[in-house]
Amino acid sequence: MTLLDAAPQTHYVIRSIAGEGFARRRLLDMGFVKKSRIFVAGRAPFCGAVLVSLRGSLIALRADAAATIELGAV
Amino acid sequence: MSGTTAPAGNFCARGAHKAARTDGGANKTLVLTGNPNAGKTSVFNRVTRSNEKVSNWHGVTVEMKSKRAAIAGGVFDVVDLPGLYSLTVYSPDEEVSRDRLLSRRDGLVINVCEVNNLSRNLYLTLQLMELGADVFVAVNMIDELTKRGKKFNAERLSRALGVPVFAMSAKNKPESDAMIKAAAEYLSKRPARQKSGGAARARAYRLPYLDALPLKRVAALTAAAAAKAGLNPEFAAIKVLEGDGFIIGSLNLSAAVLNEIDALGDTRHAVAAARFSYIDAITDGVITDAEKFEKSAGKCSPYQPRYLSAPERIESGQNAVLASGKEWGSDGQQLTCRRRARTSRTQPRRRVKRSPYQPRYLSALDRIVLNKYLALPIFLLVMAAVFALTFGLVGSLSSRLLRILMQNALYDPILNGLTAAGVPLWIRALLCDGVILGVGGILTFLPQIALLFLCLSFLEDSGYVSRVAYMTDGLFRRVGLSGRSCFTILMGLGCAATAVMTARGLEDETMRKKTVLLTPFMSCSARLPVYSVICAAFFASGSVLIIFGLYLLGAAAAIAFAALFEKCFKRLKSGKQSFIMELPPYRLPGAGRVGALVWQNVKTFLIRVATVIFALNVIVWVLSNFSFTRGYVCGTDYKSIFETLGAFLAPLFSPLGFGSWRAVTALMGGLIAKEVVITSIESLGGAAAVFTGVHAKEAALSFMIFTLLYTPCVATLAAVKREAGTKWMLLSLSLQSCTAYAAAAVFYGACRAFSASPGLFIGAIIFGAVALFTATVAVRALKRGASCPYLCADCPHKKGSAGE
Repeated sequence: MTLLDAAPQTHYVIRSIAGEGFARRRLLDMGFVKKSRIFVAGRAPFCGAVLVSLRGSLIALRADAAATIELGAV
Repeated sequence: MSGTTAPAGNFCARGAHKAARTDGGANKTLVLTGNPNAGKTSVFNRVTRSNEKVSNWHGVTVEMKSKRAAIAGGVFDVVDLPGLYSLTVYSPDEEVSRDRLLSRRDGLVINVCEVNNLSRNLYLTLQLMELGADVFVAVNMIDELTKRGKKFNAERLSRALGVPVFAMSAKNKPESDAMIKAAAEYLSKRPARQKSGGAARARAYRLPYLDALPLKRVAALTAAAAAKAGLNPEFAAIKVLEGDGFIIGSLNLSAAVLNEIDALGDTRHAVAAARFSYIDAITDGVITDAEKFEKSAGKCSPYQPRYLSAPERIESGQNAVLASGKEWGSDGQQLTCRRRARTSRTQPRRRVKRSPYQPRYLSALDRIVLNKYLALPIFLLVMAAVFALTFGLVGSLSSRLLRILMQNALYDPILNGLTAAGVPLWIRALLCDGVILGVGGILTFLPQIALLFLCLSFLEDSGYVSRVAYMTDGLFRRVGLSGRSCFTILMGLGCAATAVMTARGLEDETMRKKTVLLTPFMSCSARLPVYSVICAAFFASGSVLIIFGLYLLGAAAAIAFAALFEKCFKRLKSGKQSFIMELPPYRLPGAGRVGALVWQNVKTFLIRVATVIFALNVIVWVLSNFSFTRGYVCGTDYKSIFETLGAFLAPLFSPLGFGSWRAVTALMGGLIAKEVVITSIESLGGAAAVFTGVHAKEAALSFMIFTLLYTPCVATLAAVKREAGTKWMLLSLSLQSCTAYAAAAVFYGACRAFSASPGLFIGAIIFGAVALFTATVAVRALKRGASCPYLCADCPHKKGSAGE
């Protein structure tokens, strides 16, 4: 399941980061690495960004970036 | 937990530097760097007594700022850099930082970290250490941690990292001063670095997680190229593993080498994961509950618990650190796992509770503000409240009071005095009508402008603007902008010329240029008096609504053009840059900071009024009241210079309803500064004299629409040129002029048509709407086959469904 399909208000563990190039690099630099715990906080209106909590900060991700993050159950 | 054996880094570095001691008075530079919104500029302002812009969103600083300051008895250059998450960069403002950090490795790098996001901040710290920079970590916003009943163990982190750590809060001036003093003393007392010391220092830091990476293999392949490019070979190797395009480009590696590196697998993830797992290990127990802290600190060392500041403390702790320095061996990764496993087995509940990676649930306020359905209505309400406050009762009342005061205390006595003294009529008219009514007239808007900036700075500092960016991104994506453009566009409400600069934080070039182009469509504070005066003259009751409508019209024009560029011009289509943004926590803006911000904007406004606007207004008045041949023409039938010239241009504006030379004169002055539009109107006899005839109200509305949309002022054009180039500046100039003309003409034409025959007009509107709707539905239906709800570059969902 990708972050895009994740249920809001739920904890997950990151399984893998797909994608390539800048977007992936930035995700890695922001702390989206395998085995990190992540909390899906919500979704913006108009199918907009996904809001997640990672390492204590709130991060908004656009759908295309969210779709590259594969999640698993905690 | 075993608090006594701190996860150790090592201070072997100290010994190495003692050996490398050369001269004491080397470069004295303190470079402030760190993640965006960590508070670098706050510290910079505090220690250099500067007034650079500070706010609660990411990417406020877009330029390098440098200032000399006297600290701890020495003179230091303090440099403030734009924030960055990693030394692998994405946007032009981050490039500035990276270039500074890579090119000049002198002085001390003060890495400002935010305690709330400590692990992500330390990610950059590790990279700075890999680079071999002389790092000093300043952990900011400690007060927010203290408020939550937690304590930060600076000493423990310092031992683990092997660099000095200072806990502070930039809100507090003594703490900032103490930090910079400690940093300065640390830099002065410790030996100067060798010029080529980057690699030696990086090695001296001995970051154990690097051993788990295939660094030696890559270094063997890239060392020669790195030496040629003047880079620290180990740092270059790490960056090659990370796939940093800039470093790989500057190394100029051969295809064979690149292939060999590719064969190592997913090294990019490996590097990031290694850093984060090391960070997880060293930050374990750094942030604790307050009472726990006292215990562990007591056991740990004789240090003063809260701050680790002066270098001697570090020196004195050296032995203890060295003794436990072996814990982080080459099997650093394993240690992390072991540590984690142990803690999670023994006390899982409490572990989660105390962990620094505790998820940040949405606060009660965020749950409402960021609600899927309420978010945008709340945003509109907030903006409406801002305008109601600025233009409604409070703003207009104080403006009116000032106006009455000016009339009674300045205009009347001076006019009477001058008349009594027998001063010639034209001097009297220039002073009273030109200067006091014109320039003084604009000053009465001071309360409104101050209120507008007060509201804007409150929105920015509270962290709300970031939320707006998050919730509007869905809309903005459709028109080829990102939520990040939202900052720039909202700042355009204050001053377009300064707002345009903030676009530098945008990663995609086309998107950046488009944002720059569209920001001047937002109604800046200089246009505010124009609406106020004209509305007061013609639409006494509904003025707030009309003004809010004008602001919305500006925003709508910007968004409409963005959509047009995105859909119809391939060259202006934005790249597929992803939007990844951090939302800062809500913070109550400090009264002092908001006050300083408002005062700075008010000061800028006053200086403009006293210089540019005053001079222009005198010129406009003279040219409008003197004829070529006859001198002063007031009250006579001769035409003034502007009346003669305006007569040529005026017919051009008659389709818009205001084909009088006075209106044209006012608009021409507005090219230089928008405030001049209203000062000219005031000194040419007021709004009632400019808009005459049967359709005065429609003409006034059309004039306001034109003022809203037409060419931005010279300062904005210069800013656009700086950010996007001459071509875009010319595009901005022509686009806005044409839009303004067309919009005002359409509006005025529609008004006239409606008053001529309402039935026909409404019929035409309905017909047009139906035709447009049908056309849109038809186009949608034709396009539907190709659309994917995810809108991503290489959509995994579409592929999946195609495979089935």
